[in-house]
Amino acid sequence: MRAALSDVLVSLSKKDPNILLLTGDHGYSLFDDFRRECPEQYINAGIAEQNMTGIAAGLARSGFRPIVYGLSAFIPVRILEQIKLDVAHDNLPIIFIGDGAGFVYSHLGTSHQSTEDIACTRAIPNLSVYSPSDRFELKQCFARAYEEKAPVYIRLGKADRGDVHQSLQSLPTGGLINVRTGKKAKYSFIATGSMVRTAIDVADKLQIDIDVWSVPFIKPIDRSLVEKICCNSKAIVVLEEHSKYGGLGSMVAEIASTSSPVKMLQIAVNDCFSQKCGTYEYLLEEHGLDFVSVYKNIHSFLMDL
Amino acid sequence: MKFNPIKLRKTVLDMAYAGSTVHIGCAFSIIELLSVLYRSHLRYPDNDPFNKYRDYFVLSKGHGIMAQYACMHELGWLSDDDLLSYFSDGTDLKGLADSRIPGIEVTTGSLGHGFSVGVGLALGAKMRETDQKTFVLVGDGEINEGPIWEGALFSAHHDLDNFMVIVDENGFQAMGKTREIIALDSIQSKFESFGFDAITADGHDEISINKAIKDLWKVNSNKPKALIAKTVKGKGVDFMENDNSWHYTRLNQDSYQKAILSLNESIT
Repeated sequence: MRAALSDVLVSLSKKDPNILLLTGDHGYSLFDDFRRECPEQYINAGIAEQNMTGIAAGLARSGFRPIVYGLSAFIPVRILEQIKLDVAHDNLPIIFIGDGAGFVYSHLGTSHQSTEDIACTRAIPNLSVYSPSDRFELKQCFARAYEEKAPVYIRLGKADRGDVHQSLQSLPTGGLINVRTGKKAKYSFIATGSMVRTAIDVADKLQIDIDVWSVPFIKPIDRSLVEKICCNSKAIVVLEEHSKYGGLGSMVAEIASTSSPVKMLQIAVNDCFSQKCGTYEYLLEEHGLDFVSVYKNIHSFLMDL
Repeated sequence: MKFNPIKLRKTVLDMAYAGSTVHIGCAFSIIELLSVLYRSHLRYPDNDPFNKYRDYFVLSKGHGIMAQYACMHELGWLSDDDLLSYFSDGTDLKGLADSRIPGIEVTTGSLGHGFSVGVGLALGAKMRETDQKTFVLVGDGEINEGPIWEGALFSAHHDLDNFMVIVDENGFQAMGKTREIIALDSIQSKFESFGFDAITADGHDEISINKAIKDLWKVNSNKPKALIAKTVKGKGVDFMENDNSWHYTRLNQDSYQKAILSLNESIT
């Protein structure tokens, strides 16, 4: 997904000279191609994310199309007020990339882990929130974000979990993508980002009819489609590498509770920080988000229905 | 003459009384600064607040907004009714700067934001190769905020000699004297050490302000500029001057009349 990110940034910026990529001294080799291909459109704003966001707002007011890059723990969480006041209040066309969302920086601890960013950003008016699961969704998310001409936060999680799609044509904003279809599905899994792959794998292993939906566009979302999925399902499982408060699970519950109540299991971070150091897989296990834990959890939920 | 400081202060008093609002002292300390900026420096071709080649003025200390409203009224961008219906239900003018009002460049109020946005505007003008200038007015208390200094480093590094920060050094912040809360010592030397050309001037002497701004633009360097304006919080109304309670005190009929009287006396 990182190679796809570099490609999409270079191709967008070559197409539109008004695009400026701002980084808070993050990205390392990710921007090698960009700096070679579009050196005039690259600004390392230094380790000063708040100022970088204000500058992006000023540049957007001057007709530029800033893309602000950082780690998800900082972009958007550290700069939330700048996003709200400097950018979203005036609906400025700025794309925020929050890289390494979830537990990607598993060895570095709480400062670099990010499981509250969806909750924070969802509540900001005018701001869209995207969360691609693979390189194909990532490309669609950037295409959509560029067309929107409004503020968008793109959440990028674990990048090397394998593709979810074999290819992907354009999608309407708010579209959920059906990535696995059960014959007469009684159950639906709704997942975003890194957890889409897990949702598909668990559904395959359970060997029962399950629809799996990927949600690259968390906000705005096609509410009527979510209602329809909830209405047609005996139970729903929502999976995300994010806090169970305020993320995709909360959103599905908000929609379902108003029009199509359905029994629901949330696979998400259980309102706690990581305790230990370890690999990404180790940290997923600590939080019950690894394949085995997720499988057991869902299996027992479905058995108890 | 347009932008007469006494007239501007009367307008502020009228608004503050009509809306029963706070932040009177904060507006009074920047009256002459805005007067000089609007009269002699800010270029708005065709008197159009949206003109593509306008200079940018960012009121980063958004709570001084009544002073800016008073100037915008002089420009014809706000009507008498806009001022006298201040804070009425359903009206547009808020108690802090809001960019949805034509003529207000950036939404501020949370301190330490306008500086960085102004730096971005100045950088944009540089990249577009226009001769637009960006002025950002900050409070002295406001420069407690970290992003001010992030932006100062950035603007010096990028040679933004089209950017000027004006510090309203009235010596007070919301809860007391700046020197007792977070001492600032020499603001001029701080900005100089961050790579600015800086001048300190009397922020209520229009001739000195005008000269300082001209002198700063004339300095033969590629540095951003800083004007440190020594001001008096509540300036112009004797019983408000240096009385920090006028950060939050509202006018009543009696204090409004006394304030008008004090302004009138200052003419003679």
